[in-house]
Amino acid sequence: MKRRTFIGTAAAATIGIPAYRYARAYFEPLPDFEAIDDPVGFRRIAGGLYSASSNPWVGLDGPVAKPAPLITESEVRDNICGALYGQFETNSDVVPIASFSDYNCPYCRILTKRLSELSAELGPRLRIEWHELPLLGDASLLSARAALAAKRQGAYVQFSERLMTTAFQTTPEYLVALSDSIGVDQARLISDMNGQGVQLEIDQTAALARIFGFIGTPAMVIGRTVIQGLISESSMRKIIELERKEGWTQVC
Amino acid sequence: MLIITYPFRLALLMALWVLTLGASVSASWAETSAAFSSPAVTARLISAQNGVTEGAQTISAGLDLTLGEGWKTYWRSPGEVGFAPEVDWSTSENVANVEFLWPAPERFTAFGIENFGYSKEVVFPLMLRLERPGEPFVLNTSVTLLTCSTVCVPQNFDLALSLGPKEGIDQLSADRISRFVTRVPVDENSADINTFAANLNADNTELTVSLRGNTPFGDPDVFPELGSGTALGKPDIRLGDGGRLLWASFPVLSLNETTLGDPVLTVTDGPGRAFTLTTAFTDTPLVPPFTIAQIAPGIDQIAWIALIAVLGGLILNVMPCVLPVLSIKLSSAIKQSGRSQLAVRAGFLAAAAGVMVFMWALAAILFTLQRIGITVGWGLQFQNPVFLALMFVVLAVFSANLFGLFEISLPSAMQTRMARAGGTSGYGADFMTGIFGAVMATPCSAPFLGTAIAFALAGSGVDIVIVFTSLGIGLAAPYLVVAAAPQLVTMLPKPGPWMIGLKIFLGVLLVVTAAWLIWVLMGVAGPGSAMTVAALTVVLLVILAWHRAPAPLRTSGIIVFLALPLIAAGTLSQDAAPKAAEAEVINWVAFDRSKIAGLVSQGQIVFVDVTADWCLTCKANKALVLDREPVATRLNQVGVTSMQADWTRPDPAISRYLESFNRYGIPFNVVYGPGAPNGIALSEILSSAAVIEALDQATIPAQIAQPVQN
Repeated sequence: MKRRTFIGTAAAATIGIPAYRYARAYFEPLPDFEAIDDPVGFRRIAGGLYSASSNPWVGLDGPVAKPAPLITESEVRDNICGALYGQFETNSDVVPIASFSDYNCPYCRILTKRLSELSAELGPRLRIEWHELPLLGDASLLSARAALAAKRQGAYVQFSERLMTTAFQTTPEYLVALSDSIGVDQARLISDMNGQGVQLEIDQTAALARIFGFIGTPAMVIGRTVIQGLISESSMRKIIELERKEGWTQVC
Repeated sequence: MLIITYPFRLALLMALWVLTLGASVSASWAETSAAFSSPAVTARLISAQNGVTEGAQTISAGLDLTLGEGWKTYWRSPGEVGFAPEVDWSTSENVANVEFLWPAPERFTAFGIENFGYSKEVVFPLMLRLERPGEPFVLNTSVTLLTCSTVCVPQNFDLALSLGPKEGIDQLSADRISRFVTRVPVDENSADINTFAANLNADNTELTVSLRGNTPFGDPDVFPELGSGTALGKPDIRLGDGGRLLWASFPVLSLNETTLGDPVLTVTDGPGRAFTLTTAFTDTPLVPPFTIAQIAPGIDQIAWIALIAVLGGLILNVMPCVLPVLSIKLSSAIKQSGRSQLAVRAGFLAAAAGVMVFMWALAAILFTLQRIGITVGWGLQFQNPVFLALMFVVLAVFSANLFGLFEISLPSAMQTRMARAGGTSGYGADFMTGIFGAVMATPCSAPFLGTAIAFALAGSGVDIVIVFTSLGIGLAAPYLVVAAAPQLVTMLPKPGPWMIGLKIFLGVLLVVTAAWLIWVLMGVAGPGSAMTVAALTVVLLVILAWHRAPAPLRTSGIIVFLALPLIAAGTLSQDAAPKAAEAEVINWVAFDRSKIAGLVSQGQIVFVDVTADWCLTCKANKALVLDREPVATRLNQVGVTSMQADWTRPDPAISRYLESFNRYGIPFNVVYGPGAPNGIALSEILSSAAVIEALDQATIPAQIAQPVQN
């Protein structure tokens, strides 16, 4: 009888341990949050990497002096939800996510893919606003401009999908070939890339990144929770549910 | 400004280490820049020298990065995405040129994205050439670096290193720089590679490379560069010919025709070996050393494996030690009165569940073993002679068992207990009947379970689950069938002598598999190793079959001859052949200053080379001038003594010798001869013409060169 119990226990343990690991990952507790002083109302995952708000935020702009941004930080602060999530009717049942990514950042590709899958699954209860935060040099900036210009021809998704699966740094020649294959108006794309609208979006995103103290990409804001870096899909789902339950609209 | 160093020898040519005399080892980090520090990376410039010595043309420095836990930075080809470090030193003072060397990278695979770079720490060796030799300089670097953990953070910082006139070596920095210098890939002349080729298939979807050298590879990785805009996926790397042949195939993720250049292959094998080869594409496809379906079975292959495993499980039911028991169990359970039809069926399902649990337990144990490190390396097991020998021994022993050479039996006490366990009633008892039935079948099923286990060790976790689930379904099939239709119990074959025939047939199948393994082993480790393994296994089988041998002798014999084939496979493999010692082109003798005058008086030419492991210019001089024609032949001629002095660690004797020439650093080369009894000191950077000219000059006897003295 003892032997039977022993064998049974051993069998249960050999199967149980992997099962336990899986379950633990599934029931992983939500990370701790800490409130952010500025902007008020938002919170972030405790212990993460953020730049102190007093530090000037540094990208890869190089030594060339940049023209003054088309939108100032205080203007962005005045309508922070609009800048983050675009203009839509705030409704606590619909959780918005602002995603900040760079086309040359390895983990951005993974996070973007996860977000797209989540968006397809949750449908209208999730609203994703894609922000281009080109921190990694000229090729990133070029890709970001092209994607935003393509957005003006309703081809943002196709364009960014192709850029995301591009296994190398974008060149102007590549963008021309890409616009041909997707079928957008090339002349308009190029003029939009250098236009005020695209610049305004880039400046606004850069201002948001400064306000939230992002030091790199990927980054996102889910409702009122600020997240720097890649997080697990289960944590992401839990935060979305939490935001829906707690009513994220209080920050707007 | 991004400096890409190709080929490596050009970088070496630019290298020059200047060391000062009176080399008291200085305190740590004597001359470094102020550090830039962030959670991701701490960066500074270090220098091997404490200062610029008189007349020094070059300085050895390094960009020293210490990465935070979990942070990475990238190689000059970062992979699918990412960003290579960029360094701009254009605002430096008295720096004419900087050569930036790239240590061989590591491969990072995360979520299917391939990246190449560095973790923990890296020093990029920098070789500075001064505009005005011997004068102070300031190296101003503006560094742009991408660091990633779960977040990618660009780092943009400036570092400045300034050295004034000062002597002394910073031994700590010199060691640190030289540690990473050894990781900078060497070029094809030093790579010990005889042939190499790369092929891009017709529709540009697959790159294959193949190279063959004298030194066997252990756990190599290959990093091809095909020009910007071309990216490759995870390689399938295979070794052949005792590890001397390296073949790798890469899926092409994207191809940029306009920048597609000749493939540049950087190959690493552990931390101690790295080389870079440049080749042109060949049109002929490169054939892999072997193909194994198990490395990456497709869906259809998995279906086949599952089907065969189900059949294997079914066959287990008609083995001599299973079928009689099974028939009795099934019939008695059905005839048993007092249980409803439904309860009987549920009981059979419980028994089937018991069988499955036994199989899954085996799979779980196996999976754990595999995780713990039984695996030798992905897809490489079938190239590992020890693994192949183990497989062969397992198969040979089990086929001998099937031929009846010996019996595998469970302890009788255990058998009795298990048989009794079936006596209690209820679904729990039925479940246990299933488990114990499977356990009691092991004397017959061991050959197959053992073989399945051995093969599964080479497979992935999914393979293990599929194989054992299928085996379980096959073994549980009688219970399942009878649960569905109890009348089918009469259809079960009757036990009889035919079962012995089946056993022998299955034994033959195992023998064939064992023969195939020996054939594979012959290819991997050579005929000597394979034959020894086969012979030792025969001895093992003889011991196993020799029942009348004294038990302790038999047991120890079994243990010894189980282990011997595995040891023999490893040691006799050509793989284990001693690595060819790095052949010196020149017949160097150790430096002995006192012998120089004597040799010269005998009319000999003496060539002195003062070198050090960390001296990059010394290595460049060796690779580009000394080891090449025409200098190599001249130095090996009769009548020429080539002396080498190693100054890797400070040596006062060598220091004094250098001082006698008013020189304070290396490389240092001197030619003595009848025409130059006091020696001709050569320039830091050698050229073939200068060495030959000095040799000629030293050869001419003084009396001929200076007839006036006669």
